Amino acid sequence: MMSSISMDNSRLMPRAKLYKYIAWLLMFLVLILLPYFITNPFYQRLVTEILIYGLLAMSLDVILGYTGLLSFMHAAYMGIAAYTVGIFVVYVDAQASLWFTFLLGVTVVILIAWPVGWLQVRTGGFAFALLTIAFGMMYYTLVWKSRDITGGDDGLFGITRPTIAIGDWVLGSTSNPVDVYYFTLCVVAICFFLTKRIMQSPFGAVLESIRENEKRAAFIGVNVRRYKLQAWILACALAGVCGVLFTYLKGSVSPTMMDASAGGSVLMMTLLGGLGTLWGSFVGAGLFIFGQDYISTMTEHWMIFMGLAVMLLVIFMPAGAAGLVNRFITKSKD
Amino acid sequence: MSIVLKTDNLSKSFGGVKAVHNANINVEERKLKAVIGPNGAGKTTFYNVLTGYFSATSGEVYFMDRNITKMPIHEIVKLGICRTFQINTLFIGATVFENVRIASQIKNGGSYKILSSRRSLKNVNDKTWATLDKVGLKDKAKSFANELSYGDQRSLEVGIALAGEPKILLLDEPTAGMSDGETKRIASLIRELTNDITVVLVEHDVELVMSISDSISVMNQGEIIAEGTPEEIRKNELVKKAYLGERKN
Ligand SMILES: Nc1ncnc2c1ncn2[C@@H]1O[C@H](COP(=O)(O)OP(=O)(O)OP(=O)(O)O)[C@@H](O)[C@H]1O
Ligand SMILES: [Mg+2]
Repeated sequence: MMSSISMDNSRLMPRAKLYKYIAWLLMFLVLILLPYFITNPFYQRLVTEILIYGLLAMSLDVILGYTGLLSFMHAAYMGIAAYTVGIFVVYVDAQASLWFTFLLGVTVVILIAWPVGWLQVRTGGFAFALLTIAFGMMYYTLVWKSRDITGGDDGLFGITRPTIAIGDWVLGSTSNPVDVYYFTLCVVAICFFLTKRIMQSPFGAVLESIRENEKRAAFIGVNVRRYKLQAWILACALAGVCGVLFTYLKGSVSPTMMDASAGGSVLMMTLLGGLGTLWGSFVGAGLFIFGQDYISTMTEHWMIFMGLAVMLLVIFMPAGAAGLVNRFITKSKD
Repeated sequence: MSIVLKTDNLSKSFGGVKAVHNANINVEERKLKAVIGPNGAGKTTFYNVLTGYFSATSGEVYFMDRNITKMPIHEIVKLGICRTFQINTLFIGATVFENVRIASQIKNGGSYKILSSRRSLKNVNDKTWATLDKVGLKDKAKSFANELSYGDQRSLEVGIALAGEPKILLLDEPTAGMSDGETKRIASLIRELTNDITVVLVEHDVELVMSISDSISVMNQGEIIAEGTPEEIRKNELVKKAYLGERKN
């Protein structure tokens, strides 16, 4: 299954490359003009949510698709950042700047992910995955039980949404759905291209070697644990970015964003999109969230249908949506 | 003559099974040392302990007078000890080029150039092409490792290890399953390598071993029962009984 995901771009013929650039260009145009097509604020927020969850699923792809490490509770790290920012804004400084809270949320996530990852990489693949569940449940319980501070299962409300400003230059407000869409789009695009660059770099090549054969990676001199830990921290930091974005999109934080079902949803988005491409995760998030929105208008048991769809997909199309597109591109190479 | 690698009563047990028992070996610089012995003698286990994959039950390993017994694998590799595997251990979903390139990258550095393309490490690319040429895989650079014939995969095993620019190379039955032509190529490559580096060779093909080795150690049931030149080993009664004789029957 893993072998089918490393696409070698040098095998793509020029025409396929042209298609690729046209596709990118079209997507940019669509994303930039989107608020003019979609004028309903509900759907503007839904699309923003897809961007955020796409980034979250993408950050899971860094450890799952590139490094070969399974995390069942990746959403937990998004939740940690969300609660950090939420609690800070509600209890400490309602006027906190957007940029400061970004720094705060991501830093706290890194400080927690570091020792947890340190422990996790010292175990084998199966134990690693189990530990992600154990720690995830621990964070969730902690939030749920600290009702006085976090609001428990009611969630944390009254989070002041800051203005989007660079110095004195005010660009918009995070309470306006169009502004928050563009802001999220910028942050997500920067994170996406930066991560893409890192995965294509010599560093990404080391991660792939661990995914392809951990034993051999060690025997060419890779400090496997160190690279796994670095990939883990990168993935968690990106999840932290998602948490801050999500807090300002919603203006509140709820523990359901970091429960086991949330962890499973992110995993499904990543698998739906296809491993090892980064962009596939955004397609996966789109399919999942639109699917959820659509199916839940018909039945409240939407999770059953979504689970079934993912199962079928993993069995019959293991490379996900990205695999389908790549197959199309390689086929049209003459 | 300086000794590069040496073991001092090295042992490894699995439960009650003494897979390697009080093994002593001395490998001289820029020589070809062969380790032979019947199936299950403990040759691969010996390699696994030498290279840090298994921890030793007792005894010590020295590399250039440095005790490496408890070092982690990647640090042993950094000292210049590279190995191949009896069972192909490749980056199976990556191209042949990438299999060798990544090994060269780890050796030559650049892994933290996180904003450059992996293809931009020119020195590493050049060395990769040279290594592919040595093991005869230049034409198949773009193939994926899992598309190669078994013989080519064996060659790639050697290529990856060579890309680590070892001071000492440990080969575990590199030619097993290769065609005669491929075996010849690897045999002459091994001989050529000893101009620059030290090589240890585990091999079942006794005639090949006799013709190219400088020194041979014979393992049987976890113990090294003889060490000497090919001529001495050929005449050794213990060896004849334990191994060579058994093979002829
Ligand atoms: N991981 C392991 N766990 C338990 N026993 C093992 C393990 N590895 C090897 N052994 C045992 O140790 C003994 C030596 O095996 P080893 O593979 O080292 O022999 P070998 O000389 O390499 O044989 P061959 O020529 O068939 O490759 C065997 O009895 C084997 O069953
Ligand atoms: Mg063996």
